[in-house]
Amino acid sequence: MAALSEEVLLVVKKVRQRKQDGTLYLMAERIAWGPEGKDRFTVSHLYADTRCQKISPDGKAKIQLQLVLHTGESTTFHFSNDSSALKDRDAAKELLQQLLPKFKKKANKELEEKNRMLQEDPVLFQLYKDLVVSQVISADEFWANRLGDTNHADPSLSNNKQEVGISGAFLADIRPQTDGCNGLRYNLTADIIESIFRTYPTVKEKYCENVPHNLTEKEFWTRFFQSHYFHRDRINTGTQDIFSECAKQDEQGLKSMVVQGVKNPLVDLLSLEDKTLDEGYGVCTTLPSTSNSNRSVKESSNSAIIKRFNHHSAMVLAAGSRKGETPANQASETSNTDGNSRDSVFFQPPVKKVKLKEAIEYEDLQRENRPKTVALNLKKSDRYAHGPVPLQSQQYTTSQDIINSVNYIQHEMVNYKPNLTQVLSSTTASSAIAALSSGGVLMQAATQQAINQMVPSEVQGELKHLYAAAGELLRHFWSCFPVNTPFMEEKLTGHLEEMLQTAYSKFHIWQTRRMLRKT
Amino acid sequence: MLNIEGLLVHFPYDYIYPEQYSYMLELKRTLDAKGHGVLEMPSGTGKTISLLSLIVAYQKVFPLEVSKLIYCSRTVPEIEKVVEELRKLMEYYSKQTGESNNFLALALSSRKNLCIHPELMHANIVVYSYHYLLDPKIADLVSKELTKKSVVVFDEAHNIDNVCIDSMSVNISRRTLDRCQTNVETLQNTIQKIKETDATKLKMEYRRLVEGLKEANVARETDVYLSNPVLPDEILQEAVPGTIRTAEHFVGFLKRFLEYLKSRLRVHHVVQESTPQFLKDIFDKVCIDRKPLRFCAERLRSLLRTLEIADIADFSAVTLISNFATLVSTYSQGFTIIIEPFEDRTPTIANPVLHFSCMDPSIAIKPVFQRFQSVIITSGTLSPLDIYPRILDFRPVTMASFTMTLARTCLCPLIVGRGNDQVALSSKFETREDFAVIRNYGSLLQEMSAIVPDGIVAFFTSYMYMENIVAAWYEQGILENIQRNKLIFIETPDAAETSMALEKYQEACENGRGAILLSVARGKVSEGIDFVHHFGRAVIMFGVPYVYTQSRILKARLEYLRDQFQIRENDFLTFDAMRHAAQCVGRVIRGKTDYGLMIFADKRYARADKRGKLPRWIQEHISDGSLNLTVDEAVQLSKHFLRQMAQPFRQEDQLGLSLLTLEQLESEEMLKKISQIAHQT
Repeated sequence: MAALSEEVLLVVKKVRQRKQDGTLYLMAERIAWGPEGKDRFTVSHLYADTRCQKISPDGKAKIQLQLVLHTGESTTFHFSNDSSALKDRDAAKELLQQLLPKFKKKANKELEEKNRMLQEDPVLFQLYKDLVVSQVISADEFWANRLGDTNHADPSLSNNKQEVGISGAFLADIRPQTDGCNGLRYNLTADIIESIFRTYPTVKEKYCENVPHNLTEKEFWTRFFQSHYFHRDRINTGTQDIFSECAKQDEQGLKSMVVQGVKNPLVDLLSLEDKTLDEGYGVCTTLPSTSNSNRSVKESSNSAIIKRFNHHSAMVLAAGSRKGETPANQASETSNTDGNSRDSVFFQPPVKKVKLKEAIEYEDLQRENRPKTVALNLKKSDRYAHGPVPLQSQQYTTSQDIINSVNYIQHEMVNYKPNLTQVLSSTTASSAIAALSSGGVLMQAATQQAINQMVPSEVQGELKHLYAAAGELLRHFWSCFPVNTPFMEEKLTGHLEEMLQTAYSKFHIWQTRRMLRKT
Repeated sequence: MLNIEGLLVHFPYDYIYPEQYSYMLELKRTLDAKGHGVLEMPSGTGKTISLLSLIVAYQKVFPLEVSKLIYCSRTVPEIEKVVEELRKLMEYYSKQTGESNNFLALALSSRKNLCIHPELMHANIVVYSYHYLLDPKIADLVSKELTKKSVVVFDEAHNIDNVCIDSMSVNISRRTLDRCQTNVETLQNTIQKIKETDATKLKMEYRRLVEGLKEANVARETDVYLSNPVLPDEILQEAVPGTIRTAEHFVGFLKRFLEYLKSRLRVHHVVQESTPQFLKDIFDKVCIDRKPLRFCAERLRSLLRTLEIADIADFSAVTLISNFATLVSTYSQGFTIIIEPFEDRTPTIANPVLHFSCMDPSIAIKPVFQRFQSVIITSGTLSPLDIYPRILDFRPVTMASFTMTLARTCLCPLIVGRGNDQVALSSKFETREDFAVIRNYGSLLQEMSAIVPDGIVAFFTSYMYMENIVAAWYEQGILENIQRNKLIFIETPDAAETSMALEKYQEACENGRGAILLSVARGKVSEGIDFVHHFGRAVIMFGVPYVYTQSRILKARLEYLRDQFQIRENDFLTFDAMRHAAQCVGRVIRGKTDYGLMIFADKRYARADKRGKLPRWIQEHISDGSLNLTVDEAVQLSKHFLRQMAQPFRQEDQLGLSLLTLEQLESEEMLKKISQIAHQT
C-alpha cells in the first residue's frame, strides 16, 4: 500500500464515519479513514480535492467535522471519544487549516482555469450549461479533452489572452443628448473611458493629474467635452483649457510620427519622384500656400479635421498593437508609437528588396510548389454562398415539369391571337402589374427573404445552442475512433450512445414545444 | 524559350499570359519595321517582363539592328521594379545558357549621379526617369550621345504629354528675378576678379565664340547627338552675336533683360500675349533684338564654364531666365505668355508671375522621335489610343490595346448614378455643393464600408472638393458611422503626412481591421501607389476628375489644341478626365489573382462619350445592367461579386484560358485564338 511510505501527521482514534467506528489519519497529501480492525482505508481524500472543512457548532451534542469536496460531495467524521472528542476534533481542524491552503492553490489553479475558460468563452459556457448542467455528460468528460488542449498549448499563450482592440468609432457612441433644459448629456461608460485613455494617453495623464485633487471626475469629463480638443473642427485657441496641452502633445506626436518616416519604401511619397524639374520650370507652380495667413477659417478648420482623423486612426491602430509590447517599450511610447521603428534602420535595405520582389512577382506564372491541401468541394456552392432560403408553400417542380411547361407555353404563344376587344381594363392591368412587381402580392414568395430574417432571434439562438451541443457530442463520439482501448469501447457503446439519445430527445422536446407555441 | 515569329525569346516563367504573347508579337513587328508603337496593356499582366524579354532577345540576335534599350519610367519605385525584373531575366539567361552575363545594364534613379557618360555609352540597357530624355536641360547632359540604334520605351506613358509640356515651361516670379539679380552681380564680380588675375581665359572664350557653335553643328549633322529642342538649328551655324560676345557685354545684356522683366511684372491686370508680341515689345521698350536672345542659354553656359563655377545650382535663377530668353525667341508657335498680378484665390495679395507655358507637347519629344529608330509608348491606360499620336505628332507603325484575359471576371466596374432617393449623383459644378449629393455619396461609402473586406480607396476630383465633403460628412455624422466599420485615413497636401497615413492604412488592412483611404485624383497617391489584393478590394471614384478649367494656361492650351490639332476642347477635357479616372480605378487590380470593385460614382460615366474613353480591359466588363445603379443596387451587386471572388482560385482554373503552358502556346489552334482575342476591338 502506498500509504505505508507516507508520512502520517496525525492519527485520531475513535472517529465514526457512517456509523462505523474507525481511525482518522491525516497524512502529508491526503486525509484517510479506515474502519476499526481493518487494514485499509475506505475513505481517502486528497487535500487538493477538498474545498473546505466545516465543523459542528460548539455546544452541539455531536462533535463533527465535515469535508466538502470540489465535486460537491462531502464526508462527515464524528469524533466519538467521550473524553477528548472536542480536543481531537480541534487538533484535526487545526492541522487541516494549515494543510488545506497549501493544496488549495494547486487545486484552484485547475478550477480557475476552467472558470476562466468558461468566462472568456460564452460559447463554451453555453455548451457547459447545455451538456453538463442538464446532465447529458459529466463534468469530467466535458473537461477531459478541453483541459488537455490547454495543457499542451503554450502556457504563455493561454495566459496571455488577446487584447481587445478599440472600436474606431468609440467617440461616436457618446453622441450627446439634450436633457431638455438647455444642456447636453453625454453617456460615458467605463469602456468608453478606457478607450479614450488608451487612444489618447495624454488625456489619461491629465486625468491622473487633476482627478480628484483639482476636479471631480464629473467636472473633468464636462470640461473634456466642452474643450476644443473634443471638437475636432474647432481651431485650438484657448490657452486656459486644460486640454490645450493635450492637443499640442498630439500635434507633437503626429509630427514625430511623420518625421520618423515610413518603413515601406513603396509607400514613401517623398521619394516617389526622381526630383526632376528645377524650381521655376513646369506648368503649374502655384504651390498650395502653406502659410495660414491666406487660408480662410473654414479651410483651416477643414484641414484640421482631416489631420485629426488621420491622427485618431493612427492612435486607435497603435492602441490595438501597443499592449503586446514589453513595458520597456511603453515608456518611450509617446515619442515612438511603433516599437519596431528603431530596428527598421538596420533592416531598411532588405525591406525594400523584399517589397520590390513582392511587387514584381506573378505567382500564377510560376509552377505551384506549395504543399497539397484538400480543397473544400462544394456540390452546391450556391447554398454555401447564400444560406438557407425558406421553403415555399408551393410544390416542388422537377426539371421535367419545367421543360414540359416551357414547351406548353411556347406552344400556346405560337398559337396566340390577340383578342383586342377583350383586353383587361387599365385599372385591372395596372393592379396586375403592381402585384407582379417587386413588393407586390404575387412576388412576395419570390423575394429571397433570408431565413434569418424570418425566424425570431430567440428561436435562432436556441437552435444554435442545440446545434453546438450536438456538435460537441459528435466530437466526443468521433474522438473514440479508432477504438483501441476497452475504455473507449465502453464509452462508445455505453454512455455515449445514451448521451446522443438524450441530446436527440432534448432536441425533440424543443421542437415539439416550439411547434406547440407556434400553433 | 518562346518562338515569337521566328525570334527565340527567353522568358523567365513557366507559364505565360496570352496577352503577353500578343504584346511581344506586336512589339517585335514594331522593331522589325524600325518604327514607333503605341501599346496598351493592363498593369498586372506582366508588361515589363514582356518588353524586357523581347527586346533583350532582339538585341542578342540582331546586335547591329538594335544596340541599346532605353527604358523610361515615371517614379523611382517603378524604375526599381524594372531593374528587379531585369535582374531576374539576366539570372534566368545565365542559368539557361550557362554563360556568365555579358549584358551591361544601368539604372539612374537620382540626379545626384550624373557623371556617367562612358558607362551610359556602353550599356546595353539604360533605365531611368522620363526627364533624362525629355527635359532638354538634363537630356543634354545625360542622353545626348545615346546611339541612334536604340529602342526607347516610355512606360506608364499616359501622362507623357504633361511631362513634355512641363519640361518646356517656365514660371518667373518676383523672387526668381531677385535671385537672378544676385546671380548677375556675382557673375559681374567674378568676371572682374578673373580679369585682374587671368585675363587670357576670357579672351580664349571670346575666340571660341567667334568660331561659333560649329562643334555642335558638326555633331548634329553627323548625327552623333540627340538634338536639344531649346537649341534651334539655325544658331548652330552662326557665331554668337557681337553684342553679347564679351563677358561684360553679356552681363550687361542680362541686366537689361532683367530690368525689362521686372517692369513687365508690374502689372495690375492679367496680360496674355504670344511670343512674337513679346519680342516686339521687348524690342520697342529696351531695344533687345531677337538674335542675342536666342543665344542666351548657350552663352550663359559658356560663361559659367569659363568662370569655372563649380556649383551650377546656385545659378539656377539666371539659367532659368536665359533658358526662357532662348525659348521665347526661338518658338513663335506652341507657347503663350501669361502674366498674372495675383493668384485668383487671393486677389488682395500681389504676387505677380509670368507664365511662359508650352502648349505643344510634341516640341519636347520631337528630337526623341527623330533620333531613335523605335519609340514605344506604353501603359495600362492609354485610351483612346489614337489621341497620343495626334498630340505628340508622330506616326506609329503599330497601335494596339490588349485586354486582360480572365478565367474569372475579377474586376467589377459599376456606375452608380443615383442615390437611394433617386437624386442624380454627380460632381459637376452646379450640384457640387448640393447637400443631397454629398449625403448620398456618404451613404455609398458607408454601405460599402460595411460589405467590402479590408481596404477601400476612394478618390475625389480635387483636394478642395474632398475637404468640403469630408467636413460635411463629419458634421452629418457619416464619418462616425463609417468608423464603426473601418478606420479612416485621408490624403493631405503634405507628402510626408500622407506617406504615414498610407503606411497606417496598409497596417490596418494587414491586421484585419480594415481601412478606408480618402484620396485625390491627379494626386501622388493616384499616380504612384498600388493597392494590391487586400490593400484595395474596392475603389470608389467620386465624380469625374475634370481638370480645373478656369485656369488661363489650360484655356490657352485648349485653344491651341483646337486650332492646331483639330481636337475639340470638350473631347480633350473628357479624355484627360477619363485617363485620370482610369488611373485611379486601375490602382486596385494588379493582376489576375487580384480582384476588386470599381465604382464610378457619377451619372455622367454612363454616357457613351465617357465610357468609351475607358481602357478596353475595363470597358468590356461594363454591362448595360451596371450603368445607372442606385446605391442599394450597387451594394447588392457588390455583395454578390465579393462572395464569388472569395472562393478559392487555383492555377488549374486559369490554365488554357488566361494562362498558357509552352505546349499550349505552340498549338496552332491556340495561336489562332490568341490573335482573335488580340484583334477584336
